[in-house]
Amino acid sequence: MRLFILIPTFIVLIFLTSLSIYGLSELYVNGALFVKVGVSIVLFFSFLIIGRYMLLMIFSILQTIKKSADEERSKIIPKKVSVIVPCYNEEAVIEKSLKSLIAQTHPFVEIIVVDDGSTDRTLSIAKSMEYSYKYKSLKVYTKKNEGKAKALNYGIKKAKGELILCVDADSRLDEKAIELLVQHFQDPSIGAVAGSVYISNQDNMWTKLQALEYIEGLNMVRNGQALLKSVNIIPGPIGMFRKSALLDVGGYADDTFAEDCDLTLRLIAKGYKVDFEIDAVSYTEAPENLLDLLKQRYRWTRGILQSIKKHRRYILDIFNKPRLSLVLQYMLFEAIIWPFMDFWVNLFIVYLALIGGGSILIVYWWILFTVLDVAGAIYCLLITKERLSLAFYALYYRIFFISIINIAKILATIEEWFDIEMSWGKLERKGKI
Amino acid sequence: MKLLTFMSFIILTVTILTMVFGIIAYFLYKARERKKFARKASYEEILTTANKQTLFFKEKSFD
Repeated sequence: MRLFILIPTFIVLIFLTSLSIYGLSELYVNGALFVKVGVSIVLFFSFLIIGRYMLLMIFSILQTIKKSADEERSKIIPKKVSVIVPCYNEEAVIEKSLKSLIAQTHPFVEIIVVDDGSTDRTLSIAKSMEYSYKYKSLKVYTKKNEGKAKALNYGIKKAKGELILCVDADSRLDEKAIELLVQHFQDPSIGAVAGSVYISNQDNMWTKLQALEYIEGLNMVRNGQALLKSVNIIPGPIGMFRKSALLDVGGYADDTFAEDCDLTLRLIAKGYKVDFEIDAVSYTEAPENLLDLLKQRYRWTRGILQSIKKHRRYILDIFNKPRLSLVLQYMLFEAIIWPFMDFWVNLFIVYLALIGGGSILIVYWWILFTVLDVAGAIYCLLITKERLSLAFYALYYRIFFISIINIAKILATIEEWFDIEMSWGKLERKGKI
Repeated sequence: MKLLTFMSFIILTVTILTMVFGIIAYFLYKARERKKFARKASYEEILTTANKQTLFFKEKSFD
């Protein structure tokens, strides 16, 4: 099935790329200096994007094949897992989240809820679910509000397990999630494992586009990165760590707005490998309107840039820290280079279409990337058994959704460059997990 | 060729509108955040940010 999608995609892509290159080369030959430079940048950017996409898809396929050859995935590994659930004003979702943790199939689980000074009923709801039975327990602690990183570190100090699973209070885990994540820690070089994150509230266009983005843009990318054991971000909704590795790097830091990204980079810097388990699933709520979505992406962008800044001395240190250097370069590309290039290329193509008469080029440009997106979407949806109808959104995923996100990333990058003050800005929970 | 011309018009229009819409949406979001933090806080909100320490009154000890 994978070859059935990949081979025709390759053929169509090569044909469209040839058409686009032909169209661009005509413009290059006949255009002014500005057009020549612009065409060169468009070509370079196109090859970079297509190359990145195809490489990650191929890596992802190889990783899936490699995983399917592993025969020992159904064993229960007798390691105690401590689940840390930091929460602040999560009364709408905390009960469903904790129920999903209580229902885990892994037999050795202690759940530690850290209420970070909530002002709603989060603490009372969590307290009502406390229990202890055989090798499973749920305990609730409360502390004054000091932020997510400190709440997680508080929970880690209380944890007795050899492995630590950090989740968000608005995440609902699939019952086999812990059992599947634990398997990876039989390799002593593994410091952390990320799980898959899916959107639970696929109610409107914005949440469906995000659902597609998570499947195609996040989960597939992490699956590809897992082939090299270099996943660049352990997501907040589901990430398991070796406790000794966490203590080795000093736990979560609170000097960035993406503490998960910062922690992952510190683990990679220390030499730990970071893996991904595609079948360990967490469902989370996505922002349901554009302004809430921009709020989330603004925080992600600035947090990721802050994390990269903290590790900037390793960006070109490819001989001493090759894995970290490559991860940082990739993150710089995704966070800064890609959004700026994408916006610039859109502007340039519009300019060519309006002034230079190269309007056909914009059709080739759109078809080129839409074929890529639709093929990638169908492949990812088949692998993950999600609804194939989501592939329809791939038709305007890049031209509409990604363009808006990239504009937000660019403006957030400018604000981070000028060190403009920002706050956490909590999203309102709807309880749809 | 007419189909290609029509498609190029649609895609061009969507691209331009999306870029304008994206910039406007971002500044709408920033305006909303500024408004949120500029509004008057209630007594309960101030109490929360002051870490539940009693304001203006002496704290009663039950020791």
